[in-house]
Amino acid sequence: MRNIGDVLKQNLMKREVIISLVMLLVLTYLAISLGFPIIFSTLILFFIFSIVTLSLNLEVGHTGISQFGRVIAVIAGAFVVGAIPGRILAFLYGLPFGLEYADDAVNYKVVPLIHKILEKDIALALGFLLFCLVLAGLSGALIGWLTSRPAIRLREAYLGISLLAFGDFFMWVGHNWEPLVGGTTAVFIPDPFRIVWGYRMQAVAFTLLAILVLVYLFIERITKSPFGRTLKMLRDSPLVSRVYGKDIVKIRTQSLVIGSAIAAIGGALYVIYTGTCTAIGFTRLTWTFWPWAYMMLGGVGSNIGMVLGVLVLTVSRTLIILYRKSLFGFLLLWGIDPIWLEFTLLGLVIIFIILFMPYGLVPEKSETVLPSGRIKAILESVRKQSSQTPEN
Amino acid sequence: MKDLLLTNNLTKAFGGLVAVNEVSLTIRENTFTLLIGPNGCGKTTLLNVCTGVLRPDGGEVKLEGKDITGWSPESIYELGFVRTFQIPMPFLSLTVLDNVLSAMRNPGESPLKAIAKRTWVKEEEKNVERALEILWRVGLSREWDKPAYSLGGAQLKMLEISRSLASGAKLVALDEPIGGVDPIYADEILTYITSLKSYGLTFLVIEHRIDIAAPYADYAYAMDRGSVISQGKPQDVLNDPKVVEVYLG
Repeated sequence: MRNIGDVLKQNLMKREVIISLVMLLVLTYLAISLGFPIIFSTLILFFIFSIVTLSLNLEVGHTGISQFGRVIAVIAGAFVVGAIPGRILAFLYGLPFGLEYADDAVNYKVVPLIHKILEKDIALALGFLLFCLVLAGLSGALIGWLTSRPAIRLREAYLGISLLAFGDFFMWVGHNWEPLVGGTTAVFIPDPFRIVWGYRMQAVAFTLLAILVLVYLFIERITKSPFGRTLKMLRDSPLVSRVYGKDIVKIRTQSLVIGSAIAAIGGALYVIYTGTCTAIGFTRLTWTFWPWAYMMLGGVGSNIGMVLGVLVLTVSRTLIILYRKSLFGFLLLWGIDPIWLEFTLLGLVIIFIILFMPYGLVPEKSETVLPSGRIKAILESVRKQSSQTPEN
Repeated sequence: MKDLLLTNNLTKAFGGLVAVNEVSLTIRENTFTLLIGPNGCGKTTLLNVCTGVLRPDGGEVKLEGKDITGWSPESIYELGFVRTFQIPMPFLSLTVLDNVLSAMRNPGESPLKAIAKRTWVKEEEKNVERALEILWRVGLSREWDKPAYSLGGAQLKMLEISRSLASGAKLVALDEPIGGVDPIYADEILTYITSLKSYGLTFLVIEHRIDIAAPYADYAYAMDRGSVISQGKPQDVLNDPKVVEVYLG
């Protein structure tokens, strides 16, 4: 009898290649019909959400934490980059940097002055970008540690509800407390990509791609290691993990700190890309539920699946936004505004996955940490040794 | 022979039901101690209280003279005491090999060292070798790369035993290791376990199938309704009228 694992193994590579090819074709078609800007903005969203979804998968897929507050860490990264690095530059160059920095009447004058400095000095621009990312990573790690405190006592649904509430809490703090990131108005982020004005989209896209590759390799490395195995132990059975000596509080904390740091870098990259930070934009829909949908589509627990899931849904979202008026305008006749099709898609995708492919596009594989060739060699020598010495 | 595990008037109650009632037992080092008793007499609860899965309501547990009453399971593991579960509880999505490796230590379990492969790969290879040796002995070496969820019932029992043996513990408590396993295979497994005593291991074995397990045991305890009713050489315990009565009614 063939078991489900064998069937999946045969079809997997094929499926990954086919999906990627179809998406590439769609992107090529868009590039030809609508030009390159739309491609770059789609790719940039793909890169950013891949980073965030990979971090979510580390916590949910690998560790089994019910992380319904992905937006918390994203907010930590975005708000910190909105609030601090710009103020530091303003302070260094004698511009207003106190509470008034985030006031919209001051901010829209100060940031262009900072841009004048940034667009001349490449070292400063690069240093500024790096500083933003490090700062975001640290604040993400800190917020990850803070959210890990209730994670010790609460489990599953209760933890999920608490994290969901925390996410909204931080968004409303940002929305109502103007000195942080401008409150109801946006705060501008000094743009480190000014220096390549004219090729900004391309520069942003390549930088993001490089960061995504680094994040992917990092996550791939730590999940295919003894550390990754302890994460999966915790996910499969917290009790047995404890009986075999694993400190589950420590492991949950480590997973949340690493995941949140990465998600915060994703949030920071998003505000650097858009050039503004608006508190009310960091909703649980965009930064918690979309990443969950990407993750479920991609295959919970599989790293490559995350990238594929984000690719498929980001391209689908772009297509819907582009063509909903022209192709689905007729829905208005029945009282349905096609403007909501994007959100309908989110629900449809989740229902479709749960019904027809609960393991996602690329189901998680049971793999050993060492390559199987090496293990087979060890097994062979064990067999030889054991057959030479008589049993008992 | 030293006393390895000692319980003193250990008590655990669930509401009005006293599952373990002032149980005092001694497990000597390097022995195979059998714990028998009818269903629901408190054997597994006793094990849960000893290994920190449940907190006792009274009494104390000592491992090598150290008071470990109410310690967490992970601290008790550090001292070299592990247990298996009556209903096998493998890490379902992990491979058979990874399940065995999960009981071992590796510096790569720290996320900082996990990034640098060379800090842990040697240790991992050593662990893999030891894990495969154990799997070979219990007859699971051919399934090493299968996910645990694809194994059958008896194989899961063997996986459960392999994992506890791999932990490097001094004292291994096996909760019904041969339940649901055919008699010949069960004999092989018990022979293997007994042979491990020569490496200094000590076993506390809970078992229903007394006829198969008794010949391997050095000492036996019989429990009924939360209390120890008989102890001594396995054959003497089996012939004790009190034990015969609770089994045959």
